[in-house]
Amino acid sequence: MASIPHPAGRVAARAGLVDRLDRTFRWWSFAPAVVLLFVLTIFPIVNLLRMAVSNVQFVDGRAVWSFAPGRNLQAMLGDPVLGAAVVNTAVFVVVAVALEMAIGIGLALLVARLDRGKGLVRTAMILPILVPPVAIGSMWKLMYNYDFGVFNQALTALGAMPVNWLGSTSVALTSVILVDVWHWVPFVFLILFAAVEGVPQDVIEAARIDGATSGQVTRRIILPLLAPAIGVALLFRGIFAFKAFDEVFLLTGGGPGTSTELVSLHLYKVFFEQNQLGYGAMLSLAIIAMIVAFLLVARRAGTALATTR
Amino acid sequence: MNIQRAIAVLTAVVATAITPFAANAQAVDVGKHPPITILINSSPWYGGFEKVVQLYEQQTGNRVKLDTTPFGGMLEKARNAVRGQRSPYDLLNLDTQWTIEFYEGGFVTPLKDIDPSFDLPKEVLAYGESGYWNADKRWRTSKGGKLMAFPPNGNVAFFVYRDDLYRTAGLKPPQTWEEVIANCSKLHQPPNTYGMVMRGERGNAIRYDWMYFMQGKNATVVRDAENGDYTVTINSPQAKAALDLFIDVAKKCGPPNAGALGQGDVIQLLSTGKAAQGMVISAAWANFDDANKSAVVGRIQAVPVPRPADGKPPAVLGNWNMVVPRNLPDEQKKAALAFARWFLSAPAQRAYAEGGSIPVRSDTFASDLAKQPKYRWFDAYLKMQSYASQELGYAEGAQVEQVLGLRLNQALIGEMSSGRALNAAAKDIEEIFRKNGRRTGALPPLPE
Amino acid sequence: MTHGTSTALPFAGRERAIGLALLVLAVAVVVGPFVWIALQSFKRQIDILTGAWVFTPTLANYVDVLFSRRSDFAGNVTNSAIVAMASTVLVLVIGTLAAYSLHRFRWSRAISAAFLGWTLVFHMVPLLTLVGPWYVAFRELGLYDTLWALVITHVTINLPMTVWLMMAFFREIPHEIEEAALVDGCRPLQAFWRIALPLAAPGLIAAGILAFIFSWNEFSVALTLTSRETATVPVAVARFAQQYEVQHSQMAAASVVSTLPALLLMALGQRFVVRGLTLGAVK
Repeated sequence: MASIPHPAGRVAARAGLVDRLDRTFRWWSFAPAVVLLFVLTIFPIVNLLRMAVSNVQFVDGRAVWSFAPGRNLQAMLGDPVLGAAVVNTAVFVVVAVALEMAIGIGLALLVARLDRGKGLVRTAMILPILVPPVAIGSMWKLMYNYDFGVFNQALTALGAMPVNWLGSTSVALTSVILVDVWHWVPFVFLILFAAVEGVPQDVIEAARIDGATSGQVTRRIILPLLAPAIGVALLFRGIFAFKAFDEVFLLTGGGPGTSTELVSLHLYKVFFEQNQLGYGAMLSLAIIAMIVAFLLVARRAGTALATTR
Repeated sequence: MNIQRAIAVLTAVVATAITPFAANAQAVDVGKHPPITILINSSPWYGGFEKVVQLYEQQTGNRVKLDTTPFGGMLEKARNAVRGQRSPYDLLNLDTQWTIEFYEGGFVTPLKDIDPSFDLPKEVLAYGESGYWNADKRWRTSKGGKLMAFPPNGNVAFFVYRDDLYRTAGLKPPQTWEEVIANCSKLHQPPNTYGMVMRGERGNAIRYDWMYFMQGKNATVVRDAENGDYTVTINSPQAKAALDLFIDVAKKCGPPNAGALGQGDVIQLLSTGKAAQGMVISAAWANFDDANKSAVVGRIQAVPVPRPADGKPPAVLGNWNMVVPRNLPDEQKKAALAFARWFLSAPAQRAYAEGGSIPVRSDTFASDLAKQPKYRWFDAYLKMQSYASQELGYAEGAQVEQVLGLRLNQALIGEMSSGRALNAAAKDIEEIFRKNGRRTGALPPLPE
Repeated sequence: MTHGTSTALPFAGRERAIGLALLVLAVAVVVGPFVWIALQSFKRQIDILTGAWVFTPTLANYVDVLFSRRSDFAGNVTNSAIVAMASTVLVLVIGTLAAYSLHRFRWSRAISAAFLGWTLVFHMVPLLTLVGPWYVAFRELGLYDTLWALVITHVTINLPMTVWLMMAFFREIPHEIEEAALVDGCRPLQAFWRIALPLAAPGLIAAGILAFIFSWNEFSVALTLTSRETATVPVAVARFAQQYEVQHSQMAAASVVSTLPALLLMALGQRFVVRGLTLGAVK
């Protein structure tokens, strides 16, 4: 378009650009995400797949690949710790995520009732996820310390026996789960709180006028409206729980025995410390399979729960 | 090697005796070089290293940049550095367990290839020759091996005790574990005081501390790795005796959560005064005399780790090694080597020790520094170095450590008997070696 | 139809008291450990190790963290601030647009399922297996040891959650509102900017807070792609977790120092978002 000094013409030129943006909005709103994701993730994931069926060795400063899926599979099947890791992880994820979801949703509903101070409470609730993960592990280890930790100090002050939080096979996993719950309830809370803020007032009013109790209002009206947010929170919290690493690495290192061995910790040891890249990659794929299985089960349970309303 | 060590120490002592001001020798001239970057971890000895680096910059005018990295990130950064086109670091600090991966992978340049005239001064402690690599034997030894690294820091564990508690109870420093247990009968009064604390946490923690018992009973993990015989001997009667002794000490002298004690926990128990005796890594010594970190300043003494009454005195090495990556231009490699040459000289090592780090030259240990109370652990350290050795010196080291770290811990916490734990460990370890094509075998299983 | 905040749900007196009590308890449990950490930051290491409640407070830890020679904490905080703010803004823009596009415009099921599925698969892959290839790639591009590499990777890492979260919030917006706007002659871009986005504002804030925090606290990638000058706060804090022990006193101080700028930036960002959205909103 030729340059037009007339102001109306300039407006027309701009209108033309906006018009073009509007028509192509569908595309350019979606494209950046696709491009970014593709460019940055395609190579590493393909690399991972390739590693899972290979044996990678380093000779003379370079990586030497050889096709060896059987070797990696055998390593996985013969791994003495993997079984315990899978069981522990399943328990950890189910218990931790269930607690986090329940507490997070409950808190979001409670905070929504406040007249004032909501922002302050929300800021306070963010603090656990704000602390650097390495500090969380170290600080909780101090708090769980058998001789000097806060919890045992409190217990002995009350006349009870000190608990061997991190040194007893029966208690250790629970201790790790507690740290995880403390750490991640804010995540669920934030998402659910935002969702509760978006619940329309008049629907609730109407229900109240119709004589519904608060419990019924919560269960029949609010929760179903929160369903999409609950779904996303559960999805991401679930996936993330399988990758839980920092807490258990610093608190127990997988011990005592194998009581707190989680698959992500085991992967770290295999892939990183032992430098078994092939087997480690296959283990990553196994973890992904585990997560997918968990999600499918969770979704089936979720729809079952929703339909029995 | 022991004889060489003894001669070195003797020479140093004699030299120091006849030239009392040897430590004030001229600074080493290494020439002008481009700036280098060193990958190093933040650690108790970092302060001393940093001071020495400043001294280097002052004396030679060559610049050095220190990339202080958390310990948990060192291996990753080192690996990334050598796997790329050009390493961002000119010197990498490697823990002893990682060295074999780098030597064998061809990632580092042998030091003599950079400059044939370079050699480790004979006063530098050998640290089990972890800086050498014999590619044919796949073993770290100077016999037929090339020099790949120089040591900036070396650790052994000490046996430490509270001399005030000893005086009150009328005890003397123990030579054997049986004496330690006897001392415990007077000192161990839980929950106020524990007799003796050592690491029992799963993983590297228990593996390292237990190996002192293993060495003490003359047991080994494999029969003769240096000569290629990887027959697994971890489930020998001697090893079982060592594990039983370890568990005995932990039960009779330690806290209820002995199976969860890491080095930090051991240090905590000692520096708060709750433990009367302990086994602790030499690097932790600085904690005990620091008023901000210890309630027992000046009351902790160190002696070599005891032996079993029917065994030999043990010393397991854990040292750092600095290597020069292969993927660097020549002038950078030469610059890195110049720093090494300067660092290993006597005046530099003395400054290093004065800065709070553990020196690596025997003459620094034998110098007048040893008389200062804050260096009262020098004797124990040097004595242990004369018979110290490396363990797990093979490519599968990390995997073997993880097997041992698990099985030993399971035996300690009572999940399985010592016989069963060692048998399980032997089976896993044999499998590891077999998969990697080593010549391996097994001993008859222990009674469980 | 009213839509939005101020849900002082009018529940009965005793229930309200119980609810309030539970809330106070929950907040105490959540904030408690953080207060405890802050308390430790004023103690000497020995007082932390003995769990002392009576002690002489000291500022030495803060001095050590902020001003000592081996610590460039101020620089690390700046790096973290730049990376977190930039990556949050970018991921919110890219993610929200993509979420809206998927929600509003009829993409084929194959495309949307493939994209969303890929985001989930990517989210499931352990990060530790990805950092190696990323290091190599960024080093080749000459972006190693720059903040740009971190920004780009953080955007990618946070993209799945942002997209899914915004889609959930867009789904909550009743269809009739948007339909009505379009019938009134509103263009797609305007419908997005003036209607959908303000209505999804709470979700935007939640997604923004989470993306910011994840970026602020991200460790593995930051460790691999940076060196001393470009290191971020988590890497700096990790220096206090050493091979044989943790320097608890400094780590506590560093944690507190790390939290404050993040809180400040989030509060500012939130106000900015709310103001920006209400300017464009049409209620």
